[in-house]
Amino acid sequence: MGWILSIAMALYALGLLHSIFGFYQKRQGFVKIALGMVACGFAFHTLFLILLGIARWHFPITNLPESLCFLAWCISLTFIAADFRYKLNALGAFILPLVSLLMIFFQVFWDKNRAIPPGLASGWVYFHGSIAFLSYAAFFLTFISGVLYLIQEKELKQKRFRFLYFRLPSLQVCDELFQRSLFVGFIAMTLAIISGAVWAQQAWGRFWDWDPKETAALVTWGIYLFLINCRFSARWRGRRAAYISIIGFAATLFTFGVNWGLHKYL
Amino acid sequence: MSNLLLVGLNHRSAKLDIRQRASFNADQLPEGLKRLSDRPGILEAMIVSTCNRVEILSNADPLPSGSESIEAFLSDYSGISLPLLSPRLYRYTDDQAIRHLFRVASSLDSMILGEPQILGQVKACYSAAVAAGTVGSYLNGLLQAAFRTAKRVRSETSIGEYSVSVSSAAVELVRKIFGDLQKKSILIVGAGKMGEAAIRYLAETGAKSIYIANRSPETARDLAERFHAMAVPFDEFPEWASRADVIITSTGAPDMIIDPPMVQRIMHDRKNAPVVFIDISVPRNVDPRVGDIDHVFYYDIDDLQAVVEANLNERTKAAAAAEKIVDQEVQAFCTKLKSFDVAPVVVQVQSRIDEICRTELQRSLKKIGPQDPRQIEELESMISRIAGKIAHPLIMQLRNSRDSMDETAYMEMIQRIFKTKQNTD
Repeated sequence: MGWILSIAMALYALGLLHSIFGFYQKRQGFVKIALGMVACGFAFHTLFLILLGIARWHFPITNLPESLCFLAWCISLTFIAADFRYKLNALGAFILPLVSLLMIFFQVFWDKNRAIPPGLASGWVYFHGSIAFLSYAAFFLTFISGVLYLIQEKELKQKRFRFLYFRLPSLQVCDELFQRSLFVGFIAMTLAIISGAVWAQQAWGRFWDWDPKETAALVTWGIYLFLINCRFSARWRGRRAAYISIIGFAATLFTFGVNWGLHKYL
Repeated sequence: MSNLLLVGLNHRSAKLDIRQRASFNADQLPEGLKRLSDRPGILEAMIVSTCNRVEILSNADPLPSGSESIEAFLSDYSGISLPLLSPRLYRYTDDQAIRHLFRVASSLDSMILGEPQILGQVKACYSAAVAAGTVGSYLNGLLQAAFRTAKRVRSETSIGEYSVSVSSAAVELVRKIFGDLQKKSILIVGAGKMGEAAIRYLAETGAKSIYIANRSPETARDLAERFHAMAVPFDEFPEWASRADVIITSTGAPDMIIDPPMVQRIMHDRKNAPVVFIDISVPRNVDPRVGDIDHVFYYDIDDLQAVVEANLNERTKAAAAAEKIVDQEVQAFCTKLKSFDVAPVVVQVQSRIDEICRTELQRSLKKIGPQDPRQIEELESMISRIAGKIAHPLIMQLRNSRDSMDETAYMEMIQRIFKTKQNTD
């Protein structure tokens, strides 16, 4: 099983290198190769997760390293979808470093003999867990496209036709990616919160407990709701929306990181 | 041995009037090629003639006689006297000529670095030479290698990606903001000469709609008809401006016709959808301060010039990578050429050694008189083993020294020692 993980990691690393080189040299061919490599790496990663799930006889997000591995899988998934749709030269160079980093983290800290926390013994974990991680990954993409938008807008406004002007995608594409990932992330997070509440009702007899993770998730959800509202009413778009997405992503990271209270098993 | 010789002039070596007089148009090429190949010492030839260069590529006698022959031809044909023509010509042989040809085909020697037409022009000239029957296997192989190099340069570097005209730079800039222009509307205020040029260019970008506002409505209608655009009244352009994503101004107005308060109103109407102002008029029609408003991008003619310069800069960077590809291809082609050259020498050296050994064997056998066939057989096999052992290190040395510079000298020495005469043509 370890060798499948190694292959996945190697393919991700190669994809990362090709992405960076293709971005730097403006070579479309390398970016395409990178996408292919990441897609193959993703296939091995999927296989690994399935085998891990079978070995543990549980959805493999039972501790922090495992959940990071699954988060990397979600980010790869969103990257492949976005890159396939928009064919952006810049995306890989900005997203794949995190994927590789998460995988390395998993590799180093993973301990397969750790016991499964009893709280997670429920079918709900499949839906609640995976949809929550998908929302994190989508918000990461929102964050990245917001940052790319900010950089490119600055170059265009200040009339600096240099390295990044040539390499970053157009504002329109950044904006589209921003919007789509935002919607996907928001819907996923809404479902995660709802499913979490239902699960809580079944497990602990209450829908909502104001446990730290629940609270953080609600605040994050509120920020993104505000962002979507701004985006729709056309009051704040472009740069301001991108700034909010950065705040939103900080909140997302916080939500992911707060693992005490009822969610302390991660 | 083939002697590649390239004689020519280009935009750097000769002024336009000389280039014009020396050039061959498509109709003159067959006749020119025929007369060129009739000259003494020319085995194969082709003429590359474009508006920026006239070059004769030939497999000819080595310098100076081959070059003299070609120069005389050029002078005869163009009617430019030799003393006037000669100092403007460059002459390249072998490796240098190969490199020059590869650089020309890859658009590294062009007046506008990386311009895409040159490869097609070289191909057309090559076809003309093929049709005229003046190209043989050597030039054939060379030109195929040149086309391959040019293709590699196109696909492996970004040399052709950056536009270097102001109008295409403007479109590129707009694309950096809007991506695709197919869902975007363009308003042109002022349909003067510049405005018309802009419309002509924009009509090809596939924009959803183009509005034209001009002080004289007839001109606007006229242009609108020609480019499937829509003429709008000049006084109403501020209203139309809020429907347009790109606004190009080129009126002869002496002062600003668009100022920040007006743009703020436009942005309010547009619900902050981004808008690009391109002001190509001098003096300016749009207050540059509109660029400070959120979602408004403002560029004047100097900014467009800056894009062009940045693009040229990127091309120059890409050219460095392209030169490396040319180096590789020149190397590869020369290696291939040399390996062709080594083969006959190898055969000759082997047969010469063999011949010497066999003559000596025959002589000895005659002296000794009749012998047992088995002994003769043994002697023969010994002799051929000796021949092989002498030839082997020599041949290995020949093959291995293919890349080193002294290979030709080494080959010549071997040829002298064994008195083999090489004839590969």
